[in-house]
Amino acid sequence: MKYILMMNTMKAGCGVPSWPQKDLQAHIAFMLALNKELHAAGELVSAEGLSFPDQARQVRAGKEGKPITDGVFPESKEFLAGFWIIDVDSPERAYAIAAKISAAPGAGGAPLNMPIEVRPVMSAPPKEML
Amino acid sequence: MKYILLMSGTKAGVDGYLAWSQKDIDAHMAVLKALNKELTESGEFVATQRLAGPAEAKVVRGEKNGLPVTDGIFPESKEFLLGYWLVDVATPERAYAIAARISTGPGPGGVPTNMPIEVRQVASYDQRKS
Repeated sequence: MKYILMMNTMKAGCGVPSWPQKDLQAHIAFMLALNKELHAAGELVSAEGLSFPDQARQVRAGKEGKPITDGVFPESKEFLAGFWIIDVDSPERAYAIAAKISAAPGAGGAPLNMPIEVRPVMSAPPKEML
Repeated sequence: MKYILLMSGTKAGVDGYLAWSQKDIDAHMAVLKALNKELTESGEFVATQRLAGPAEAKVVRGEKNGLPVTDGIFPESKEFLLGYWLVDVATPERAYAIAARISTGPGPGGVPTNMPIEVRQVASYDQRKS
């Protein structure tokens, strides 16, 4: 069963967090170790880290299909920071991995306890889209 | 440069889509299918995923002992990720142009939905480097 684990913690306009370098490194080391563990278990399908919200653009089609880009988002908007796609035996295993990610260290090494959104992924694109 | 094109919507928006006629859904899917084919041929296609709907979403946090706490209640205003495309393109402008194409996908009666598509650069986790 394929699941997506989404970190939606970032706010409009923010860039790299102003944590001490040491704390940023500990956070990244935690994520890399987790990815390695999931890969070794055969559960990791893919993982992507997105650029920060200050780089995000909203695009709509204007006249003649030309793109209209806008970088202004509501304060309340949640931004995807990154995601994992995992292939696991049960939803409970997906939730357990999400709980691990939730406890990633933040400033001063304290667990962030951030919320992680978990949803099944359609195992293949629908036939009509291929 | 790898970019992610994110298609999001609220629960109300998703319920509206589910009420489209089969003919309108087929026409919308045909446009996305043609786009995926075109991006594959141009060598810009990396991946696309469609996610299960908001009804199947859970938000997970780690408890003190690391056990997952799951909750399925979200604010009405929450935007859910519905699906995404990862593309590998030469410029951000090309990513915006592809997003505009997705934005012009037909809705009910063939009228373009003009839905906003969020565009951001990504850093992929490369398991060969781990």
